[in-house]
Amino acid sequence: MTAISSTGIGLRGPHLAAVVAAPPAVGFLEVHPENYMGGGPALGALERLRREGPISLHGVGLSLGGTDGIAAAHLERLAGLVERLEPALISEHLSWSIVEGVYLNDLLPLPYTEEALDLLAAHIDHVQTRLRRQILVENPSSYLSYRHSTIEEPAFLAALAARTGCGLLCDINNIHVSGRNLGFDGEAYLAALPAEAIGEFHLAGHSINDVDGQEILIDDHGSEVAAPVWALYRAALRRFGPRPTLIEWDNRLPALPVLLGESVKADAAIGEETSSARAA
Amino acid sequence: MLALRDLQLAMGRSVLGHDETSLADAIVGDGIAPESRLRIYRHHYEISLTEALKAIYPAICRLVDERFFGYAAHEYIKAHPPRRPCLHEYGESFADFLASFPPCRTLAYLADVARMEWRINASLHAPSEPPLAADAFRDVAIGDYPRLVFRLLPSLGYLESPWPIDRIWSGREEAVDLGEGGCRLEIRQRGEEVVFARLDKPQFVLRRALLAGERLESAVAGALAADPHFDLAMALKRLLGEELVTGFSLAPDDSQTSF
Repeated sequence: MTAISSTGIGLRGPHLAAVVAAPPAVGFLEVHPENYMGGGPALGALERLRREGPISLHGVGLSLGGTDGIAAAHLERLAGLVERLEPALISEHLSWSIVEGVYLNDLLPLPYTEEALDLLAAHIDHVQTRLRRQILVENPSSYLSYRHSTIEEPAFLAALAARTGCGLLCDINNIHVSGRNLGFDGEAYLAALPAEAIGEFHLAGHSINDVDGQEILIDDHGSEVAAPVWALYRAALRRFGPRPTLIEWDNRLPALPVLLGESVKADAAIGEETSSARAA
Repeated sequence: MLALRDLQLAMGRSVLGHDETSLADAIVGDGIAPESRLRIYRHHYEISLTEALKAIYPAICRLVDERFFGYAAHEYIKAHPPRRPCLHEYGESFADFLASFPPCRTLAYLADVARMEWRINASLHAPSEPPLAADAFRDVAIGDYPRLVFRLLPSLGYLESPWPIDRIWSGREEAVDLGEGGCRLEIRQRGEEVVFARLDKPQFVLRRALLAGERLESAVAGALAADPHFDLAMALKRLLGEELVTGFSLAPDDSQTSF
């Protein structure tokens, strides 16, 4: 494994050829393992890029919170990729996606209850045991919450980290989006996270929509990182110190230089917030 | 308290559009109706899967126009929700769906164009394997040739259609005479890309049989039936020269037949 020092970008199919032709000077590249589980030229390209710098595998298909259980075949395919690519980081989501064998193609929200905590902890244990690695678990973007939740989301994540030894992927945009949609304060959320468990930050764009005359933020990864998300990121840097940071951009994908420009901004924030911490 | 399993079953029904109400009581409204909140997830499910199908079937989308494609995708997604989290594996039965989709009845070639696009997609995501060298069979005794069973490129696929689907696919369908006849296609990875080419009938019959795991003897019998002058030595040379063979074995010697 390789230590990660600075900001990375999410690598998506349309950018693959350009990145292979001239690997950009970024800290790491993050991909969805599901896109490489068949094989073929894209996986070959990723293996070549792996020799240039660290790769992070950010899964969307394990359904860690699913009552169907972890699909053995999917976990084996992930384990195969982990063996081939030796990623510096492996992450998944605090969510569920599969019920009765149907893949709902979304990171669906969980109720934060003792029952869900037990299930998540067992599934994370199972995955970490099979991969023989720590995984990071990412906080979701949410458009609803359940009445019977009894645990606050950051406390739920902290409990998972304590019980399983998993790390946390702190998605700053998701905190902002969920905070606005469900009515909580982003900085208070950060304050409730265990600093030592945080292994990565994510930054992304969101869209602002109207539902029933009320504003709903949608985590669509389709634009530049918004100003309030940069502000919350800086607050996280001041609180936790630097961590590998990823720019995610999936929809309305811009030209590669635009994406790289966002990573330069994140690098600048890391430099400013962590040097001011040293000076203080 | 709502058990997690029951919550997920209800949410599943909601995302699939079967049940908008049974989960509503479990959701905090806070100024927005729970049903409206649930609809965000349902909307994302439909939009993202439609986009996934569009990525695999760009020619179909172009041929029927984007609005109609959205309608067909909507109906397909409703009938065939995904069972696996790899979206490049979603939509294999879209061609069969189009073949029996009444609004497409007049576009007889559409399903075969979709089969071609699925085959291209499958090739793109198939494992890559190094080909055997051109002299790979030098140690095989001539008498053992009938028993040869080949392992061919994992990305290889064969498709036969009564329509010129390769020309329709390539985007100049106005110039295509649908009566010009069909085609037999070979689709494969080559280097970083997927390529396809037309084959004549004996080559097509031979290669498709070999890909299906038939012994060389039986594959050749099919090729000879298509063309009595079929040249086996040249065909084998081409198989290796085109880097299609990645391995071979000898089937058990259960017959005394030879060429």
